[in-house]
Amino acid sequence: MYLVAHIDVEICASKSCKLCTQYCPEANTIQYSEEMGKEKGFKYGSAYVAVDRCKGCAQCVWVCDNMAKNNAIKMIMIDQLPMAALTDNITYSDKSTIAVLASPAGG
Amino acid sequence: MSLDYVKFSSGFEKFMPKEYRDMVEHGPFGKKMSVSQMGSFKEILEEHPMCAGCAMTLFIRLAMIAFPNPEDTITVGTAGCGRLAISQAAIPFVYGNYGDQNGVASGLSRGLRLRFGDKPKDVVVMAGDGGTADIGFQQVLHSWFRKERFTTIMLDNEVYGNTGGQESGMTNRGAVLKMAPLGKKFEKMDMLQMAKVAGCAYVATVVPNNPRRVESVIKKAVLIAREVGSTYIQAYTSCNIEYAIPTDKVMEDAKNVENDRYQFSEYITDEAKQFLTERYGYKEFLPKPAAPGLSKA
Ligand SMILES: Cc1ncc(C[n+]2csc(CCOP(=O)(O)OP(=O)(O)O)c2C)c(N)n1
Ligand code: SF4
Ligand code: SF4
Ligand code: SF4
Repeated sequence: MYLVAHIDVEICASKSCKLCTQYCPEANTIQYSEEMGKEKGFKYGSAYVAVDRCKGCAQCVWVCDNMAKNNAIKMIMIDQLPMAALTDNITYSDKSTIAVLASPAGG
Repeated sequence: MSLDYVKFSSGFEKFMPKEYRDMVEHGPFGKKMSVSQMGSFKEILEEHPMCAGCAMTLFIRLAMIAFPNPEDTITVGTAGCGRLAISQAAIPFVYGNYGDQNGVASGLSRGLRLRFGDKPKDVVVMAGDGGTADIGFQQVLHSWFRKERFTTIMLDNEVYGNTGGQESGMTNRGAVLKMAPLGKKFEKMDMLQMAKVAGCAYVATVVPNNPRRVESVIKKAVLIAREVGSTYIQAYTSCNIEYAIPTDKVMEDAKNVENDRYQFSEYITDEAKQFLTERYGYKEFLPKPAAPGLSKA
């Protein structure tokens, strides 16, 4: 098992600064979704991790903790994550993306 | 090398992998994308085998977003870590022998001008510090003296990362590395000064912990190289493996190094300023209006 980044939608959407999307070294790994925040009643969207592309470096954790000062990202063992975003289930729209969450274990 | 190659051949759409379909439909080709939209569009860069948390990877990711016309851009690289990612992108990548990248890019950029005339086709070299300042040094300097019109980007991790930690000309004096156990005996080479002496029209240093700045210097460098002359960007892109930087501290290191010895610097000739202002509407080089009241004093 290995660690991946996990973003708490409620903590992120209260700030939604998008900093981590600009600092993750991997392309299209931290994505942004308007719906994710709005579904929970926030004005803005949330960042989320396409876990199949995450290399587990935790740079995003440092960025969210120290630059955004929002502590929304934690590293978590992938088998402890019941639902997550995977590249295959992400669709792009004009200014955002939509992710249908699924079990990362493929169940 | 045009929008024509970034589309589906008729009948093939349903057979293409998701990443390809996303690239055609939601990629940056023919649109102006910026770092502020990251996470909302499909990027040129794909998955690649560079190490987790590598700052060079982040820099390459940002650079590709900053290319002013990705559909009209060719990258040139050489041996070293960077090519492992640069080659995994939806734009053409040319790879030769170690150190010949600025020679290859010279021929390529001249050939593209002959073939396409005034239509801009951008050539961007991205190579390591070893590839640029040691092995490729002669070809790099000569391309600048000849004022070849393309951009050279040094991915400066201050070590030969790909081959396990030998010192390069860009390693700092005293640095101890796996394959330089006694510490480097000489100073870091001043490639910035050499670029200016050799006649580059634009020379800048950046660190990837400021994505908007990376975007801004790369855009300027690529645009200036279209007509004015050679441009050079030197980017601090730490090797967390050879310098044993924990991956969650890579941006902290970038910040410290930026404050210590890699401050942002930008040199631009008057001709390049005028070109950016007149051709691309840049406002930052216009004479500043005198502050009210100051002239009376
Ligand atoms: C002619 C030649 N000599 C040696 C090598 C082996 N080699 C591959 S990468 C590399 C060092 C790369 O260092 P640098 O250019 O600083 O890039 P980095 O890997 O640090 O990004 C060397 C020596 C080679 N590929 N070709
Ligand atoms: S840095 Fe933190 S608060 Fe900002 S978008 Fe990312 S997870 Fe949300
Ligand atoms: S852990 Fe690293 S690779 Fe994974 S999302 Fe965070 S910054 Fe990106
Ligand atoms: S060896 Fe160093 S420079 Fe190369 S990919 Fe790994 S961390 Fe990056």
